[in-house]
Amino acid sequence: MAERSEDPRKDAMEELKNFGRDILKNIKDKEPPRMKIPSRSTSNIVYDEDKRFYSLAGKKTTRTAANMRQVKKFAQTLCAADFCKDLIEAGKSATLREMYYTSEGWPTGGFSSQDRSDRVVEDIESAFELKREDLGLLPEEDGASIFGDLIVREGDMEVEATEAGRAGYTIPPTMSDVEFVECGAERVLAVETMGMYHRLVQEEAWDTYNSLIVALKGQPARATRRFLKRANNDLGLPVYLFTDGDPFGFHIAMVVISGSAKLAYINHELAVPDAKFIGVTASDIEEYKLPTDPLRDSDIKRLKQLLDDPRYSDEEWQKEIEKMLKIKKKAEQQAFSKYGLEYVVEEYLPTKLGLN
Amino acid sequence: MVLAKDIFKEFREHSVSEFFRKNASMLGYTGKIRSLTTVVHEGVTNAIDAAEDAGILPSVYVAIRSMGEGSNSDHYKVIIEDNASGIPDEYVSRVFGRMLAGTKLHRNVQNRGQQGIGISGGVMFAQATSGQPTVVISSTEDSDEISYNEVMIDLNNNKGEISESRKMEGDWRGTRIEFEVKDVTYRRSRYGPYNYLRMTAIANPHVQITFEEPDGSLTFFERATQEIPENPEPVPPHPAGIKADGLLDLSERTRSRSIGTFLVNDLSRFSRNKLEELEERVDVDLDRSPEELNWDIAEEIVSAFREMKFMAPPTKGLRPIGSENIERGLEQILDPDFACAVTRSPEVYRGGIPFIVETGLAYGGNAGDSSGSGDTGLEIIRFANRAPLIFNQGGCALTSAAQDIDWKRYEVDPESTPVTLLINIVSYHVPYTSAGKQSVAEEPEVYEEVRQAIMEATRKLRRYLRKKIKKRERQKRANLFENYLPIIAKKAADLLEEEPPEIDDLVRKIAGVENGGEK
Repeated sequence: MAERSEDPRKDAMEELKNFGRDILKNIKDKEPPRMKIPSRSTSNIVYDEDKRFYSLAGKKTTRTAANMRQVKKFAQTLCAADFCKDLIEAGKSATLREMYYTSEGWPTGGFSSQDRSDRVVEDIESAFELKREDLGLLPEEDGASIFGDLIVREGDMEVEATEAGRAGYTIPPTMSDVEFVECGAERVLAVETMGMYHRLVQEEAWDTYNSLIVALKGQPARATRRFLKRANNDLGLPVYLFTDGDPFGFHIAMVVISGSAKLAYINHELAVPDAKFIGVTASDIEEYKLPTDPLRDSDIKRLKQLLDDPRYSDEEWQKEIEKMLKIKKKAEQQAFSKYGLEYVVEEYLPTKLGLN
Repeated sequence: MVLAKDIFKEFREHSVSEFFRKNASMLGYTGKIRSLTTVVHEGVTNAIDAAEDAGILPSVYVAIRSMGEGSNSDHYKVIIEDNASGIPDEYVSRVFGRMLAGTKLHRNVQNRGQQGIGISGGVMFAQATSGQPTVVISSTEDSDEISYNEVMIDLNNNKGEISESRKMEGDWRGTRIEFEVKDVTYRRSRYGPYNYLRMTAIANPHVQITFEEPDGSLTFFERATQEIPENPEPVPPHPAGIKADGLLDLSERTRSRSIGTFLVNDLSRFSRNKLEELEERVDVDLDRSPEELNWDIAEEIVSAFREMKFMAPPTKGLRPIGSENIERGLEQILDPDFACAVTRSPEVYRGGIPFIVETGLAYGGNAGDSSGSGDTGLEIIRFANRAPLIFNQGGCALTSAAQDIDWKRYEVDPESTPVTLLINIVSYHVPYTSAGKQSVAEEPEVYEEVRQAIMEATRKLRRYLRKKIKKRERQKRANLFENYLPIIAKKAADLLEEEPPEIDDLVRKIAGVENGGEK
């Protein structure tokens, strides 16, 4: 792996060239071209207790052009690499779907489904420890909304996150290209729903608590997770996660904290192990006497699985999950409006954030 | 007032068509497509037999021309022309006008013309459906005249009548028959004349057939061998196969003076020793004249035969097509990628009737496609003594033996693989299921022999197909590397903005290694 510079795109370019160099050397030595790719099969995905997120164990598979089942995919991998090189050179980005359609015109012929072309991108990402953003490839979906005291630069455009309308600054899929210019906030407060986001913006919680309000919009997009990671790393801001009090809410928070198994090969760029869960717990349901829904069978099943999940092994999680299973109730984050719209901002959050 | 002669004229015409209606299915004249095929069959059989008898390589021209349109579209003219030695005028009315004339019914010999009642059946069918006489144009070797005759059948007297006759000048030898028929349909289906002629050409590779269809299109079924098959020899009946009525029938035509010598002379494998053995088994004076043989005596003798052992009957009279000629026929007509054939040794069914089974397989080309429609699969073509069996495919032992094969084991998908399977049963006495003579009965020995013959041929085909599959896979592998390795080289070079490196050697090396060392 080449030394990493300040410019991830330049690094990506260097890695792609190395890839080409290795293949040309194979050919010159009259050896079948080959490449090593970390295995992304479940047996190679482990929860790293030290790093506190999912990552890949050491197992690697070798793709060789001497295998008739692999030679086409091998050629497609090189076509994809060359496609990325052109993107980087032109300073452009393309979506994965655009690459999938472009592949129709490759000399190898295209892929039978986008799934397959996406997997080739993942191969390149994991083989060379690159992020697709750095390769000029974007996921389809936009990232989350941000409101708060933050100025960023995208190319020659500077954006203030309080001046971009009520819906806030939208994290672009090309998160790697975003430069943090100035930040006056002291923490990141990420909430599960747009509803809660708007409540916090209206109540000026960003100002009151000097926070960047981030709407995760359910399961957060890669760009959102990348933003949280960078806010935590580069800006040194603590990250708080406020979700619904149900198994899905816990999961959303945990994906931010420990990463998902599917993206284990890239979690070191995404996971925020120090992010703190301040979502609704079973204790909160009791303490605040929140309006609830009964747990469904699927909720109960899921909660029981969480009890055995290493990511939920600490005492606090265990206690709260047990309690939820006992009371058989769940509550949404908006349930606090029982006590008035402002209640969540004036009472709940300061308590959870330890500001009272 | 209606005149008596008109009434009788009508009566006579009625009786002709009535005869047909009653016997139609037995004679092969049933259904609009089948009737047309039967007319063609009778004419072509006649033509081939005539040429073979004269020692001439048969060339047959068949034309079917549409005579009507609209509601009359079932009206056709069928023309069959051969290059045989022609028919002298005095025989024309006998050959064409008389039912059962000149058939080989009383000879224990393998014959092709086993369907219906011969060429006169065609004359009668024409007469019954269109009311028109059949035109016979013929000229013999030593004549510089051509005879033109119109023939009708006087059914009451079972006699041919020449309704018009004239001579033309010309230097030509052969016979041309023109039937005018109605109530028939021309279609290029499995049951139609096209497939009948195609099958005939395959099983008779010494015959050349030119076929003109109603739309004017011409098909040439070219000759594949210059060998004229030997005429089958009559073979005396075998004691194990004969029945009481057969024995009686035989005795009426013997010249022997005693029952004993009659048996020795007129049966095969019946020696003097066997005669002595028989004398001990029956309570009959075998020195009596054959004329005194009656049903009871015949039955006693036949039941004694059942308890005796005889040498298997001679098979020298049987004339298989021969595996080489089957292959030639398949190759010529179907233009396949592969053809193979098997001619088995003679076997015996019902204890005394010898038969030979032959099979052939063609793969690729035009195989497996009976109507030229491009819709292929396993096609079974059945023959008895080289004559195509087109109808009643379902109830036939040849078909069921073929269908009982597990084709998938032989790399053949009956639904899609382009394969034609030929089965020919050769015997003086083919065990047909019915008078229609279009399907073979499930005699256990026949079924088993057909099955063995099919498997023998199929194993040859399997060897070929497996080689082909292997070769195709090898080719596929090689193509894969030839396609993709240069792309890998080019794209790797593109990443570095270099010229692509030389990769041909590596392609050869990798494609070779993958092929298990074969280059």
